[in-house]
Amino acid sequence: MARIELSGIRKEWGEVVAVEDMDLVIEDGEFVAVLGPSGCGKSTTLFMLAGIYAPSAGVMRFDGSLVNEVESRDRNVGIVFQSYALYPHMSVRENIAFPLRFKKVPDAEARRRVEAIARLVQVHDLLDRRPGEMSGGQQQRVALARALVKEPQLLLLDEPLSNLDATLRLTMRTEIKRLQRQLEVTTILVTHDQVEATTMADRIVCMSKGRIEQVAAPAELYARPASLFVASFVGAPPINVLAGRAEGAEVVVNGLRLGRVGEGGAAGEVVLGIRPEHIRFDAHGLAGRIDQIEPMGRETLYLVETPMGGVRVLEGGAGVRFALGDSVRIGFRPEDSLLFDRESGALVPGARVAPPAG
Amino acid sequence: MAGRPPLPAAAPVRGSGDGGARGQYDWDRLAARARRRRALSHAALTGFLVLASVPILLPYFWVLTISFSAKTGGIESVVLWRACGVLIPAVIAFALGRILLPRRRQRWILAGFVTGAAVIAISVAIGPYLHFENYRFFWVADIVRDLPGRGQATHYAQFPSVWIAFRNSLLLAVTQTALVVVVATLAGYYISRFAFAGRASFLQALLVLHAFPAMTLIIPIFLLMHWIGMLDTITGVILVICTLELPFAIFIMKGFFDAVPWDIEMSAMTDGASRRQAFVKVVLPQVKVGMLAIGVFAFIRGWEEYVFVRTLLFEKANWMMSLYLWWVADDIMGVDYGIVAAVAVFYIVPSLLLYLFCQRFLVQMSLGGIKG
Repeated sequence: MARIELSGIRKEWGEVVAVEDMDLVIEDGEFVAVLGPSGCGKSTTLFMLAGIYAPSAGVMRFDGSLVNEVESRDRNVGIVFQSYALYPHMSVRENIAFPLRFKKVPDAEARRRVEAIARLVQVHDLLDRRPGEMSGGQQQRVALARALVKEPQLLLLDEPLSNLDATLRLTMRTEIKRLQRQLEVTTILVTHDQVEATTMADRIVCMSKGRIEQVAAPAELYARPASLFVASFVGAPPINVLAGRAEGAEVVVNGLRLGRVGEGGAAGEVVLGIRPEHIRFDAHGLAGRIDQIEPMGRETLYLVETPMGGVRVLEGGAGVRFALGDSVRIGFRPEDSLLFDRESGALVPGARVAPPAG
Repeated sequence: MAGRPPLPAAAPVRGSGDGGARGQYDWDRLAARARRRRALSHAALTGFLVLASVPILLPYFWVLTISFSAKTGGIESVVLWRACGVLIPAVIAFALGRILLPRRRQRWILAGFVTGAAVIAISVAIGPYLHFENYRFFWVADIVRDLPGRGQATHYAQFPSVWIAFRNSLLLAVTQTALVVVVATLAGYYISRFAFAGRASFLQALLVLHAFPAMTLIIPIFLLMHWIGMLDTITGVILVICTLELPFAIFIMKGFFDAVPWDIEMSAMTDGASRRQAFVKVVLPQVKVGMLAIGVFAFIRGWEEYVFVRTLLFEKANWMMSLYLWWVADDIMGVDYGIVAAVAVFYIVPSLLLYLFCQRFLVQMSLGGIKG
């Protein structure tokens, strides 16, 4: 278990900057998810923590001691790869025991630990099988056992669930979380799947193009995204994004004038963001026409054509109330609107927009 | 199963109602047709393979019969035909039994019966012709000594023992196999894993070298060997053959290493292994089929080598099996095909054994091996 500190970490591959000046502190025993699209530098960060890549600049500390130059094998980091990376020529038992071979753990002790950890991840019936003879979920558990058996100070998970089917993903999500709490191991999960990140992690680090966009608890990341990127990356169905211009006390979207509420002094090009579930059908709201209907079971997603542009509206619990082409009126509460600076993508704090009247 | 409701009585009717029958498939007929087709294509394939293997196997079989039956000087085909006359019916009986008899037990009984009959028939038909005189080179060091007119042979006309040639061939084959496997494995790993300037052109050069006809190099190689003082040394030949064998072997090994994911190596390193330990304990076991394959190729290449040993070796003490065979055919007045055949059989056996032993690994290679 360790407290991880990254300051000014940078990784360059020739001309390409994969990770740019990253500062991050992860507390002992914390479960942190690094979330971002492919190529945002999250796996690079993970491999730097594991000691497989050396950072081009910056300082990396485990529990206060500098580890930049400590070799991968001496860092005591457990890692679960997306492909599981089990050793195909070894049985499950040998796979799990592999890290202990290098730690000079006595045989009896190693056997005991392998069986204990195998029981914990529920693969104790499979110890004599080869990785090729197991399902994806079982391989996943073995990979987890192998990462945990050495009692790592840091557990790294590189998209561990992406090769599993949907049901198994749910189960493993719960299980990894349970294990993490039980063992209190500092854990970093790298994923491009926001649901994985928000359901499992205590804190989420949202990355884009090698930079940290926001570090926040899942709920806060969703409610108060620091940038347009975070707002659009987190949330499904995605947030409505409407480009406009701030002009004095108004925001003009597609020729439609919306009143501004509250302080926050953005001017010029802005982007208005409203989550689909925050838009509701409102008899006094903006007139529109249903353009598309996507029933999703518990909820229904409507695409509504309005003078502001196309808007997604997510309505729960009411079944499918409208038909294609129906005329509707929509509205939203000012406190649910988010205004971003279009140039920098940053949130304009406190700036709100009042819904247009019909 | 217990809780499952019984099938409705009306479900499997065929031809019950007048309109219903026409719309349904005749499953039994379709199944019978599929069975017939399978049997037919199976028979056709078997027939084709048998026909194709006859011209390959027959000459070897002939060599075998000659080596055990030919008297000095002459060759007779009577033993071959008689042996074939027994073996062909036996093989056909085996095949028919395999196809026609449904029970394993019945097949075993038939097989035992056919084998017994074949052994008796062979011993009656060709037993009197068989002798081991052609294999006397095993225990007679100089086989030409007692030939008529060669009694007072000079030192240069004398044959060395076949065991010297055997030892030399084995030395050549084993040493060059070891060299090729070690060098190609390390080189293949490096090319597969590390980016270095000129990597692409290096790979292309490997292919060109492999495709390059080695025979055209024979004079330059002769001169080179002469200049560096390795002419007429086994070491020199080993180096030459290794060099010619390596490009292909490196290319094969590179393909095998490419198929081993990076992840397991990284995983091994975070598990506490050094780079070398990760290579030995995790990567090498994944490519051992490839190592075996290039090893077998290299061994057979070294074992069969004729052109370069013929060119680069002169001294009798340096004879290889191929040279021994050639001199046996060339040096005896009026070729004694009995001895030639016997030496050929002896020459074939080691590579045949090796091949049989490694066959299943080599088959794996063509399935999972070369991926660019």
